Amino acid sequence: MATSSIDGRRLKRGFHAGVDRLSQHVELVNQLNVFPVPDGDTGINMYHTLRRAYEEIAEDDSADAGLIAARFAHGALMGARGNSGTILSQLLKGFADGLRGPTLTPSLFRRACQAAVKQAYRSLTAPTEGTMLTVAREAVECLGQADVCGAALKDMLEAMTAAALASLENTPNLLPILKEAGVVDAGGMGLVCFLQGMLGDQSAMPPGLAEHAREIRGVAAGGAYGYDVQFLMIGEDLDIARARQDLEAMGWSVIVVGDRRTIKVHIHVNNPALPLDYALKTGAALDDVVVENMDMQYQRGLVRQRARAATPTSDSAEFSVVAVVEGDGMQAVFRDLNCEAIINGGAGHNPSTEDFLVAIQQLPSRPIVILPNDRNIVLAAQQAADMIEGERVRVLPTESVLQGISAMLAFGDAPDAKADLDATIEQMSAASAATISIEITRATRDSTYGGLQIKRNDFIALVDGEIRSASADIDIAALGAFAELDLQDLELATIYFGGGYTERAAAELVERLKAPLMELEFEIIFGGQSLYPFLISVE
Amino acid sequence: MTSSRIRIAADSVCDLPADIAGRLNIHIIPTYVNIGRESIPDDGVSLDRERFYHELPHMKAQPTTAAPSPGDAAAFYQSILADGVDHILSIHVPEKLSGTLNAMRLGAEAVGGDRVTLVDSQQLTFGIGLQVWAAAELAAGGFGLEAVLDAIERVRRHTSVYAIIDTMEYLRRSGRVNALTASIGSLLKIRPIVSVRDAEVSAISRQRTWARAEQRLRALTLAQSPLERLALLHTANMAGAKKFLDSIRDSAPSDTLFIEATPTLGAHIGPGSIGVATLNADWRL
Repeated sequence: MATSSIDGRRLKRGFHAGVDRLSQHVELVNQLNVFPVPDGDTGINMYHTLRRAYEEIAEDDSADAGLIAARFAHGALMGARGNSGTILSQLLKGFADGLRGPTLTPSLFRRACQAAVKQAYRSLTAPTEGTMLTVAREAVECLGQADVCGAALKDMLEAMTAAALASLENTPNLLPILKEAGVVDAGGMGLVCFLQGMLGDQSAMPPGLAEHAREIRGVAAGGAYGYDVQFLMIGEDLDIARARQDLEAMGWSVIVVGDRRTIKVHIHVNNPALPLDYALKTGAALDDVVVENMDMQYQRGLVRQRARAATPTSDSAEFSVVAVVEGDGMQAVFRDLNCEAIINGGAGHNPSTEDFLVAIQQLPSRPIVILPNDRNIVLAAQQAADMIEGERVRVLPTESVLQGISAMLAFGDAPDAKADLDATIEQMSAASAATISIEITRATRDSTYGGLQIKRNDFIALVDGEIRSASADIDIAALGAFAELDLQDLELATIYFGGGYTERAAAELVERLKAPLMELEFEIIFGGQSLYPFLISVE
Repeated sequence: MTSSRIRIAADSVCDLPADIAGRLNIHIIPTYVNIGRESIPDDGVSLDRERFYHELPHMKAQPTTAAPSPGDAAAFYQSILADGVDHILSIHVPEKLSGTLNAMRLGAEAVGGDRVTLVDSQQLTFGIGLQVWAAAELAAGGFGLEAVLDAIERVRRHTSVYAIIDTMEYLRRSGRVNALTASIGSLLKIRPIVSVRDAEVSAISRQRTWARAEQRLRALTLAQSPLERLALLHTANMAGAKKFLDSIRDSAPSDTLFIEATPTLGAHIGPGSIGVATLNADWRL
């Protein structure tokens, strides 16, 4: 991008380089994980979003820059996953909307970038500073400075990338939770990677950032969950050193051996598609591909199923519900409560905007309520809802599957046969807020949180999303969470077991809880969720 | 009270207290509860409601219910007409849910069908009772058939019947209302709030705790204010019914009734439930 204006083909190459650079830093972005709960998937989500975006232009040879940007943005909107992916897709949409015309000139570029930031901010009801949004805004703000204004495109992009990096380094000062964890914002890091790639910057990340990520990764490496992927790359002139370097950035326990014609790859990753996809992109043919799930309980993992439409329970239903749920038992509970479409997904494998659209299209054309059941899935769901004409599809931003169940129970709660969608959502929302959620999982790394010393692999108990107790003993972690509750007016605790834990383990937990919690009634239900041995709703 | 030209009849599912029925010359034909090999009429004498609910959880097989026979119905109407009555207005459990109305029709035909007018109440328990009560008051006041039928219709429109079903176990076993149980779900323990309207029993709320269910029932009940009549229904849960009344005392009429619901319904919903039958005062407008 050295010239003062570029066409569609050049822009496409820039996008490709951006996607490529992010793909090399997926793990690094993932590991900038603020919470020691296993939901660090920002890198994967952004990568999937961009990969889907690129698919849209991969076969496109158009010289029209506006057209390329529009198609790339469309792909990003469809592929948007997780909050970071969704914000990224909005940035690209704004960029494309601001870029009308076949040739990208410096002034057009500035306008498009400004439109991108405006669009991303507009898409959020409560934009949070210290995130990718800030990084994008501050990066674009530098384009208005006198020395940048009027510069060549490459210089503008260079200034922007530098500003983005400076902004990224400042994110811990804006967002206390980042500072406490000692990290920069993951989504912001992903954006910087993308910009660097577009610029053609192949240099290593600044030492401070990379070191920090490495330190965290050192702890997380060998984490309990993921896939063991093995395959052969077969080609004519393979670059083994490059392959090793690239693959090492994607996962852990990486072994790359071979020669110019055959390379044997062994890697542990969260997303088996990443190394396979990478290998194919080098031009190599694949052979002997083996993908193994390293945790029997993580059966479905990242190989997501297309949304399955459950049999409509009643033709007279006024509304339908689409929910994101993971685990056989949990999905059965949602179906039993008359949820019509279930998208398999949750922490660690967030569905894309497109997944929501597919699920919606399978349902009869009546009002729909989406339950994302995860904080990080809310935006992709909202984006899907926004893409449907009118107000027919609405998102109730449930942040956990337990909140989702409470909302589901309230679904159809109306004395009048013809309640409207607003009343239904209000009813469901009140119900989801009225239930206390306790989630028990394992810490993915050592940390301190709210005065708690947490060791890696400790059981941590989150009460309504906040870590409230930690212990090497799962029952003690659970007891600690209950100790935080005001038991007045609480009657019932429902324990959904999963994450490799059995009904018997749940029954043993109940035995330990019963003595101090005599007034509570307990119910044990098979959830089959991964990562969380026990999900407990208290009401 | 002088005998009027129109006499009101009903079946025992209407749950009208015996003293009101006696005072207004209302004739009640019992339905039957089959326990084991015995068929017991719900006539207020043969079947002790309190004892029935006490024993219900321990019964080997879930009791079933039965309509009166056409022969019972014919004899029932015959005895009323023998009292010098011109016309009988006979109000019953919905045809959709019970064979009673059909038996009453056959019985009426046997005694000369033109002297009996049958009404499908579209309601259950005291939801029927409220229609029967109002009809008997008007009949006693000398109103004609048209006026009484019109009043029944207006009472029906202003009546609500809601109940908290304490456990889904009995409804599931009875198999009477599969659509209802399917709409509630079966994996989690749920205390549904059901509503009776237009001869349909539907779940309008799925609660998991008693406190929340009670809160919802309270809101539903108060939404029917101003209340001309109110009955607290229960199946072996007088304490629950009393506690509930205390929580809505300010809106409850002073003559609020406590009614232990007929075993004909109770056999299907089990013990522990509470409910309300309300009549909104605007029915007279």
